[in-house]
Amino acid sequence: MPPPSSITCRALTKRFDRTLALDAVDFSVNAGEVHALCGENGAGKSTLARILAGVVTPDSGTISVGGVPAEITTPARARELGIGIVFQELDLFNGLSVAENMALGHPDAERFFVRRRALAAWCRPFLARVGLPELDPASPLGSHGIATAQLVAIARALALNARFLLLDEPTSSLTEEAADRLLALVSELKNTGTGIVYVSHKMREIFRVADRVTVLRDGSLVSTKPARDTSIGETVSLMVGRAIDTSARMTTAPRDAIALRLDNLSTRRVRGVSLSVRRGEIVGVAGLVGSGRSALGKALFGMEPWTDGSATLAGEPYRPRSPADAILSGCAYLPEDRRGQGLFLQTSVRHNASAAILCRLRRGPFVRRWQETKLVRDELARTRAKVPSLAAPVSALSGGNQQKVLLAKWLLTRPALLYLDDPTRGVDIGAKADVYKIIAELSAAGTAILLASSEMPELLRLSHRILVLHEGRPAGLLDAATATQEQIMALATDTARQPAGNSATRQPAASSQS
Amino acid sequence: MKLPPALARFREILGLALIFAAAVIFSPTGSGGENIFLQPDNLTDILRQQAEIGIIALAMTLVIISGGIDLSVGSLLAFVASLTALLLVKWQPALGPAAHITVALLAALASAFLLGFLNGAVIARLRLQPFIATLATMIGVRGLARWMCDNANIDFGFGGHVSARFADIFSDKLFVIGLWAAAAAFFYVLLEYTVFGRHVRAVGENERTAGYTGLPIRFTKVAVYSLCGLAAGVAGLIHAARSYQGNPNDGSAYELDAIAAVVIGGTALSGGKGSIPGTIIGALIMGVLTNILRLRLIDTNVEFMIKAVIIVAAVWLQSPRKAR
Repeated sequence: MPPPSSITCRALTKRFDRTLALDAVDFSVNAGEVHALCGENGAGKSTLARILAGVVTPDSGTISVGGVPAEITTPARARELGIGIVFQELDLFNGLSVAENMALGHPDAERFFVRRRALAAWCRPFLARVGLPELDPASPLGSHGIATAQLVAIARALALNARFLLLDEPTSSLTEEAADRLLALVSELKNTGTGIVYVSHKMREIFRVADRVTVLRDGSLVSTKPARDTSIGETVSLMVGRAIDTSARMTTAPRDAIALRLDNLSTRRVRGVSLSVRRGEIVGVAGLVGSGRSALGKALFGMEPWTDGSATLAGEPYRPRSPADAILSGCAYLPEDRRGQGLFLQTSVRHNASAAILCRLRRGPFVRRWQETKLVRDELARTRAKVPSLAAPVSALSGGNQQKVLLAKWLLTRPALLYLDDPTRGVDIGAKADVYKIIAELSAAGTAILLASSEMPELLRLSHRILVLHEGRPAGLLDAATATQEQIMALATDTARQPAGNSATRQPAASSQS
Repeated sequence: MKLPPALARFREILGLALIFAAAVIFSPTGSGGENIFLQPDNLTDILRQQAEIGIIALAMTLVIISGGIDLSVGSLLAFVASLTALLLVKWQPALGPAAHITVALLAALASAFLLGFLNGAVIARLRLQPFIATLATMIGVRGLARWMCDNANIDFGFGGHVSARFADIFSDKLFVIGLWAAAAAFFYVLLEYTVFGRHVRAVGENERTAGYTGLPIRFTKVAVYSLCGLAAGVAGLIHAARSYQGNPNDGSAYELDAIAAVVIGGTALSGGKGSIPGTIIGALIMGVLTNILRLRLIDTNVEFMIKAVIIVAAVWLQSPRKAR
């Protein structure tokens, strides 16, 4: 076949500071093919995608497009080569119309003046191709949902004459139905000769559309196989590097003393949560995005006013008015967004770790630096954080070590109650195991822990009991030793509504309703 | 490539050294062949001249590190100078001169502090952007100062007049330089060694994280603007003494000179990062530059153009390598 229409990468290598993001990776995608790219967070998927999109320049390695060596130095160059990319965080503008979004940067559509009617006519065929023939091109993009925006982003790439399409987690914010439509579109585009690189975490989707599956781990290529020669199980174990054991539960028996008692706690986003947590007990908090997992943590941490209910913490009445108040009463909250809410990225490890206990480290107006150093060092040792020095900015650390510094920051407040909001989000396997060990140690030392997580195996493995939230209300309280993922999912999606009504009190007596 | 902090500091000093060396080379020589720039009197003159901007810039450093900006300092300086003159010249209390001066001085400083507090309160409580809140104060306080003086300068008296005594103290070279040095030491210790200093940096780098950490965000903001008002007040006293009058129209564009000194000193306008030594160096770079250009009798307008280049070059040199 004369120059086959394909993109071929050879030995791509990219290093960011200390981490090798891509290590001599070979990758190719042909016209009329869906090539799935799998790997854990930090495996190098996004780096590879960003190299193909011209956002990142590789340190070494070659790329050829249609058999011709190509240097993709800018996004504009990628566009010229016929490579379109749809990022996970859509690079679209909600304030502009659908048509204007599609025309941005397009040589045919963009003139000095905006020509509404011509623009609408120009973008209609592309919208029709992605299954949106009815969409009004003049309507503001922000007035449509995220699913539509996702499809508009693909239409935009098609309008730019993309022969190759990179889709980065395209269904992550879509409902199941919208995801179905998108997958159908992917198959259709493939059949009309588009080469598609499909980056996703969702194995079922991958095996529905992909022709080939490539697995990356820690920046290296692990395997590239035709989809029909591999399986979901094999792909997952290749991604992780070993078979994951989710069965071994890591709990110690909680003590008898009640640490936290909640009675009908309600805020703007949480309704009627009643719960008691014993010292050393780990209560998992499960629920879909927006179910109130984070809102419950923020309520306990004094970030949202309580509209109803009462609580006691360590025997004292507890009603925090601010985070400072909560910290003083012995509550700590490890937020979900490590970079945006948890850490001061440009600031040193030392200052980050001691930020929440400065009021305890002061002598007059001054910080007792000697004592600070000692406390921080000890705590970092306890959380197994590897840091080059206390003066290094936390931005220089890996995600896992950043998380350990953040844990140290909150453990230094010596909390009686610790609310962990997705504590293993975006950390690698090794750090994850460390975080689990730390949680188990804290539990053994008597800290009451609420563990919110989007990963059900994690909840089943670490918790004693699991509180399932649905739309801000408690949908069930399960004994983790006997609970199953299906059970949690059914409660979280409210498909298991019992005629008995209030499901929160329905659950086994193993829960300590003392 | 990232320079270690010690070397990064060195880079700012290097800028000052370069300008200083250039000044020595281009300095005119006196009748005895001496280097006029290097005369002790000239060097201390530079310090005295930069003290007003220098003191304001110290507090401005804290404001900028906290993620804000204060445009009202020039107006505040004029207001304090005018108020001091008013209290010394037009007010005749039954007090001895020392008590009269003390009362006038404290009243002027207290009102500057309060106006700064007002800035902080509007920013922290009403959540107005610092640029807008202090722009409003800049305009309003300028009006207040002019209205208070009926648009006229208030000249100090001569001889044994109480205002002349005040001017004697506050225009004394050593006193003024000492005041700057004391303020520099105060702000340096405040920023580097106190809990409050940590809070200022934390709030400026990431206010959300600061909130999730339980830090007193509002207090921190109100405090930095109050301190900035106070610093503008101190500069206002020096200004009144040096110009021997209270002129409600003075001090315009001082806020920009102060901000320039801060950014030349390596403080990031985006907040979180910066240092007091950097700001002092920034103020000195501007001072040496002005001085040598005046010694060479170069047109003030050319001075502005050169300053513009210096600001861009200094900030560019300090930006991280990747951004270049």
